[in-house]
Amino acid sequence: MSLFKRPRPRRAKDIADTECPRESDVLDALASARWPQRVERELADHIASCAICQDVIAVASVIQADHDHAWREANVPSSGQMWWRAEMRARQDAIREASRPVTVAQGVAAMFALTLAAVVAWFAWPSVHGLLSSLGLTGDAQMTFAWPMLIPLAIAMGALLIIAPLAIYLVVSEK
Amino acid sequence: MFSRELTVDDLERLDRIATAAVDALQMDEDTFRAFYDRTARQVWAYLARITGDRSLADDLLQETYYRFPRADRAFTSDSHRRNYLFRIATNLAHDRHRRGRGVVNVPVPDENTPGALADGSDLAAETEQRTDLARAMARLKPREREMLWLAYAQGSSHEEIAESLGLRKSSIKILLFRARRRLAAALGGRS
Repeated sequence: MSLFKRPRPRRAKDIADTECPRESDVLDALASARWPQRVERELADHIASCAICQDVIAVASVIQADHDHAWREANVPSSGQMWWRAEMRARQDAIREASRPVTVAQGVAAMFALTLAAVVAWFAWPSVHGLLSSLGLTGDAQMTFAWPMLIPLAIAMGALLIIAPLAIYLVVSEK
Repeated sequence: MFSRELTVDDLERLDRIATAAVDALQMDEDTFRAFYDRTARQVWAYLARITGDRSLADDLLQETYYRFPRADRAFTSDSHRRNYLFRIATNLAHDRHRRGRGVVNVPVPDENTPGALADGSDLAAETEQRTDLARAMARLKPREREMLWLAYAQGSSHEEIAESLGLRKSSIKILLFRARRRLAAALGGRS
């Protein structure tokens, strides 16, 4: 004989032990306020011998009492007020949603413009640098000379930042 | 960054969009109001008791009834519609719980609540019972609180509980049994 108890295998009975067929009778007795004074003798005897029904009584009686209290305590807005709020929020959300493409377009355009500017600068700089070197300019003198040449590039970038989102927005909104 | 003034055309377009959004609600006003009048108190009580926070219950109630008419669902019955409403409320409570608010606290029973004495019952005993219940509920998992409230306060069947909580019907029996046993133990066998 083993000194240690083996864990008991789970049987169908364990699962059946999770509920009692008289549970609904117990809940009926509670709901109709027959428990504990006016409940049938036979049901009272059953409850006294059934752990599940005792738990049901213990739990359901306090929850039902609390529910009644919560019902009285509930101070909910009127249905008209709630409908009006739901309607207003639906409107606001729809407008916010509709305005979103502009924001997205702005972001896309800014990234596009910055990338384009970087690419242009990357390819253009050796030519500008070569031109300046051939003119015999070095260091600060090169920057002083090159700065006016960068202004059109800056203007082009600015224009791109304004025109690109507009163009994208118009395309999106037309759709 | 780029910005522009709204034109009259823009405003008209936005108004059309807003009106379409309201038209797209899945319920008309009369249906919504009738349904709200039937269910709002139940939902509030449920939210207040599963979160343990009345002001949070107020917020979640509004959010629930904002989302409900936007749900693109075909309801086969009023019970189906009600279960879906509780499912929205439950999911919102879970979201709040995950974000940190909605940690269940023990609400102080309001002794000045009108009606507390209306049926002539013992106010002190009632208050004590509610405090005990709130404390015991706070020790349970959110899922257990929800299940117990739906089963014993709302009188929902296992199928309805499963639908409201998004669980399998077959698992409700055992989960409800465990939750009930834990609450009964926490209440100290009070009957």
